[in-house]
Amino acid sequence: MKNRSMKRVLRFGGAVAFLGFASTVSAIDGPQIIKENCLLCHSETGKAEAPFSRISQQRKTPEGWQMTINRMKSQRGLLLKPEDERVLIKYLADTQGLAPSETADFRYVLEREPNVVEQNVPEHLASTCMGCHSGARAGLQRRTTDEWQKLVHFHMGQVPSIEYLAGHRDRPWFQIALNETSTQLGEGYPLVTKAWDDWKAAPKAPLNGDWVMSGFMPDKGEFSATVSVMPNKKDEYTLLVNGYYANGTKLTGSGNAKVFAGYEWRGAVVIDGRKMRQVFAASEDGQSLSGRMFLKNDDVIGGEVFAKKAGKSPVIVSVSPTYIKQGTTQTLKITGSNLSEKISLGKGISVEGVVSKTADHMLVKVKADAKAMVGDRTLAVGASSLDAALAVYDSVARVDITPGESIARIGGNGGPIPKQKSIYRAIGYAAGADGKPGTEDDLKLGYMPATWSLKPFDAVAEEEHDLKYAGKINAQGIFTPGDAGLNPERKMSTNNVGNLAVVGTVTEGGAAVSGEAHLLVTVQDFVKELIQ
Amino acid sequence: MKHLKSFNKKAKMLDAAVSQGDVEEVVAMQSVVGCTSVNDPGWEVDPFGGLGSLCQPMESDLYGCADACWWPAQVPDTMSTHPNWSQDVAKADEDWRKIDAVFPESE
Repeated sequence: MKNRSMKRVLRFGGAVAFLGFASTVSAIDGPQIIKENCLLCHSETGKAEAPFSRISQQRKTPEGWQMTINRMKSQRGLLLKPEDERVLIKYLADTQGLAPSETADFRYVLEREPNVVEQNVPEHLASTCMGCHSGARAGLQRRTTDEWQKLVHFHMGQVPSIEYLAGHRDRPWFQIALNETSTQLGEGYPLVTKAWDDWKAAPKAPLNGDWVMSGFMPDKGEFSATVSVMPNKKDEYTLLVNGYYANGTKLTGSGNAKVFAGYEWRGAVVIDGRKMRQVFAASEDGQSLSGRMFLKNDDVIGGEVFAKKAGKSPVIVSVSPTYIKQGTTQTLKITGSNLSEKISLGKGISVEGVVSKTADHMLVKVKADAKAMVGDRTLAVGASSLDAALAVYDSVARVDITPGESIARIGGNGGPIPKQKSIYRAIGYAAGADGKPGTEDDLKLGYMPATWSLKPFDAVAEEEHDLKYAGKINAQGIFTPGDAGLNPERKMSTNNVGNLAVVGTVTEGGAAVSGEAHLLVTVQDFVKELIQ
Repeated sequence: MKHLKSFNKKAKMLDAAVSQGDVEEVVAMQSVVGCTSVNDPGWEVDPFGGLGSLCQPMESDLYGCADACWWPAQVPDTMSTHPNWSQDVAKADEDWRKIDAVFPESE
């Protein structure tokens, strides 16, 4: 079992291997690697603008190209040296990548954000493609219509039962996919776009320099940090991370990052001894980074990250907490650089003093008058400001639990597949002018501390005793599912699955307000993909 | 439907789901990225947004899912993509600890 586990770790590490910075350097460039390794099946077209059959008619993210190469290796016998693979993925992602605007709607799948319910998916994509995988998987590719049609043929060859799946077998799925969906994809996600042509031609800002970062880790809480980004070689950087968690404990780390297509930042860092991954997008002006950082071997354990480049002028990255109750005093953590002590939050909020100040943040004690006007406030620190930085409220009237729909997967128990946890946070709202919670004018206050509990989602879950078997939630809102395997204690030896409600309760001045989320504790995922 | 009486649990759930308008809820649940929405009977979630109609324990029908590539993004399809997956494990319900996931092959 140990050997299997070791193999598994190595293979999973390999899934993000393009983040690696091995010392071996390829002696040849991308086109030459294609010529030497791919032309047994692909052919040269003789056209300079699209030199290789199939390959030149597609654009993808770094992860998309990695998946293609993985498939060529496992299914088509491609043998590629690791150093050549790294060069090839970089070449393809840089020259046949996606523009920032083309990936903006689909960052969640690159960031491996758990428990996303995709919104506003075109119906043709939902009914034809999303039975098996995310809409983002298609949305993060650009192809000619002819290439989208070839992708349909590929699906028919690789997964022959696709026509017989539920939702497919009651209609001519193949004809619809080939003649209708492919055409719509060719129009919606075409190979040639102005966005990509413009981005490809645009000068790219170097990302080295000092950054101020604000983020969240489920088991550690919110943090602030300075990140020194030093250039290594083209599009590769070395990082040093120094900061603080919300409870004041220090955070230190270091690592590397590689940038694809001028903005796709992929970092591999070790923070406080834990290996982590960063999937960020740099803004087009190179002045901010946003995305998600997560544990390398447990990607559910992660959170959103935002960073701004520090310069001579003051920069505000974030404020925490993002709310203050009328008539109370609150210590705010303002994350930023070159912060002056001239702080203003508008009428009714008085600044009582700066408690402490470091390179990446300032703790400030502020007091809200009992009659301070309810609503969002702009924070001004010297000449810098942040809109809607702080919400003044009267009382917490509603609590939403995010994510509202979620899954966790059983695992462990001596098996090779670990448990897939799920993470919850409580978002508080004030009732707004109409005094009624749940209406459009509710005032969002932000993430609030909460206590956590579970209950059966419905009568069936109660009858099946799901609560006893499916898992536990801790004080940080981290749900750990039950053990994998058959459970002889349960009817029919059912697995430790369960249909639960997660209850988060915010208590304020003796009054408790709760919200609920739906959690399905379900079975393992036996297929790991870079893009689900 | 009024002349037909549900005779098992699954059929009763179907009646209940339809009558309670649970379909929207089911649709939302099916759309969590990473889960299949092919619900016959479903891998992570059944057609009613719950677990009562899934094959349980999962190991009893795991190879029935794999052989037919029924959920190729959740269970390795042994028809064409991963023919050797778990080939050494004859009985999934006895030796489930020996069954690993498939991972992208890379360096």
